[in-house]
Amino acid sequence: MNGLERVMAAVRFQPTDRLPVVPQLFGHAAVLAGIKLVDYLHDGALLARCQLSAEARYGHDAVFAFMDLSVETEAVGSTLLYRDELYPDVAKYALRPGDDPARLRIPEPRQDGRMPELLHAVSLLRQEAGNRLLIAGSVVGPMTLATQLVGIEDALYFAADDPDGFERLLDYATDVIITFGKAQLQAGAHVPVVFDPSASPAVVPAAFFREFLLPRLKKVLSAFRQNGAITTWLNIAGPTAPILPLHAEAGAEIANFDYYVSATEAQRCLPHTCLDGNLKSLDFVEATPEQVFKTAAALRDSFAGRGGFLLSSGCEIPPESKPENIEAMIAACSTVPPWQS
Amino acid sequence: MSEDLAPELKPLMAALLDGDHTSALRETQALLASGLPRERIVTEGLEAAMSRLDEKCTVEGFNLLEIMLVGRAVSAVVNELYPGGEPPTAGKATFIIATLEGDVHDLGKNVTKMVLIGKGYRVVDLGKDCPVQTVVEAAARENARAVLVSGLITSVIREVRKVRPALAARGLEHITIVAGGAALKQATPEALDVDYVAETAFDGARFLDDLVGDAQ
Ligand code: B12
Repeated sequence: MNGLERVMAAVRFQPTDRLPVVPQLFGHAAVLAGIKLVDYLHDGALLARCQLSAEARYGHDAVFAFMDLSVETEAVGSTLLYRDELYPDVAKYALRPGDDPARLRIPEPRQDGRMPELLHAVSLLRQEAGNRLLIAGSVVGPMTLATQLVGIEDALYFAADDPDGFERLLDYATDVIITFGKAQLQAGAHVPVVFDPSASPAVVPAAFFREFLLPRLKKVLSAFRQNGAITTWLNIAGPTAPILPLHAEAGAEIANFDYYVSATEAQRCLPHTCLDGNLKSLDFVEATPEQVFKTAAALRDSFAGRGGFLLSSGCEIPPESKPENIEAMIAACSTVPPWQS
Repeated sequence: MSEDLAPELKPLMAALLDGDHTSALRETQALLASGLPRERIVTEGLEAAMSRLDEKCTVEGFNLLEIMLVGRAVSAVVNELYPGGEPPTAGKATFIIATLEGDVHDLGKNVTKMVLIGKGYRVVDLGKDCPVQTVVEAAARENARAVLVSGLITSVIREVRKVRPALAARGLEHITIVAGGAALKQATPEALDVDYVAETAFDGARFLDDLVGDAQ
């Protein structure tokens, strides 16, 4: 089995030759190649090259055309602050909370901001890896784009003070995301992963998620499906137990869970949905390879008998992570899965 | 708490807990006009509202949006009572709070600050992307009981580890250090070289209540 086959078998709860592993390796690929993070985030060809050399080293099953969570907001007019070795932040937001989002246009992914570079990365990855690996594109979710358009604190007060205005902002965000995701699919992505950290219960309550975000996530995922995505993948970090059951309702076939949620709880929330997670991000920096291996093996075993699992981290594997720790995680899948032996 | 709440403070309490900053401000102005001392508005209004919220905000029942709205109402009342920014309650401790250099996220810090102000503490906010040396100088100048650091990205851990040695170098080893925020709470106090790692703003506030209480 190759990486793509392995991941897709797990999505369908079918047997695999070994446990699939899809570490959320983004900027770490640049560090590994000795490239400045800021260059990696601006150059699609470089990004694709680093992703493939990380895969050559570690042997995982998916590569990610992911830059950071500010690509969309930058493309529609926010100004970012870049530093050499850190992810960018928004220095000037495209909108103020009360502004009508209609003043902003829907971006042209072949022209605006870093979108063309991300599309370039997708097509190079597809050219090089074909159907050997899962080629994951990336978009932010509607809530994250809304918070990245006006600032998270202002966005939350805005949502409470003027729910109708906030819904207009979310609708605009949804259109931007669908446009960008479709372009990624055309460029050769198997699936654009939807990263929506600001939709986490760490930020908004589950009732808010259900009322304002679920309908828009549904729309995004079904649009991706209609435009050729081979699966659908929703990634929300933090303490997501209250909203995990809604991931299936949103139409996600793959749902990420973070270290805050135990494997047992995640399985209870989503009995028929493929899960990916949930090693603690910081452990890749701070723990020993033995500790990472032990946790990863225990996680693997907790899915024995059920399947429908992709071993991963609960959120990004930090750029400054120790390569031995990533190797230790991957070593935990290299045996025949216990449910087949 | 509500049983012994003076009747004239009930509307303020209700407005605070609803997160209705406009009504909270109006109620405060009315209370001041009626001659109620501002210390009572702080202890019986703001602090009482905060401990109600604290009871509701267990790890499972945590609701950031609600905390932010109550926090905004509390801040509006504090600004009305103390426009010059002097300490809300005389004799309560001072804390320094900051997000350290390299990290520009400040939502968690701002929420923590609102909770502590609501509890009657004096909080000196050094903002985000703040050098460790600035924290040390402020701690000395303000005679701080504790230094509070918030961090959302793991790369800021390096900076957190510098705080204790930097305080010690100024003879301030008695100052307690508390960390919080999405990235820092993945680590242990030993790994960060701090005294406590808070899970939520209220968890941190409880630790600080105990710290200050023990010292009295
Ligand atoms: C929302 C979110 C975002 C938003 C943040 C919006 C903003 N401007 O703040 C956005 C979309 C921008 C974002 C971006 C990224 N994120 Co993010 N994100 C989250 C998420 C889901 C919630 C964080 C949050 O804002 N919570 C709400 C605030 C209020 O909570 P808080 O900060 O924890 O504060 C609370 C308590 O901790 C406490 N507290 C805070 N400080 C202090 C201090 C003291 C002294 C005390 C007592 C208490 C206290 O008070 C608050 C209320 O209780 C977390 C996962 C999680 N933990 O849930 C990941 C998380 C923070 N993100 C993570 C990552 C990886 C990223 C990115 C690096 C992804 C990327 N590759 O681009 C970027 C970083 C961008 C950058 N430039 O640095 C990782 C960080 C780990 C790491 N590697 O550094 C996290 C922790 C996920 C994880 N499980 O690992 N993210």
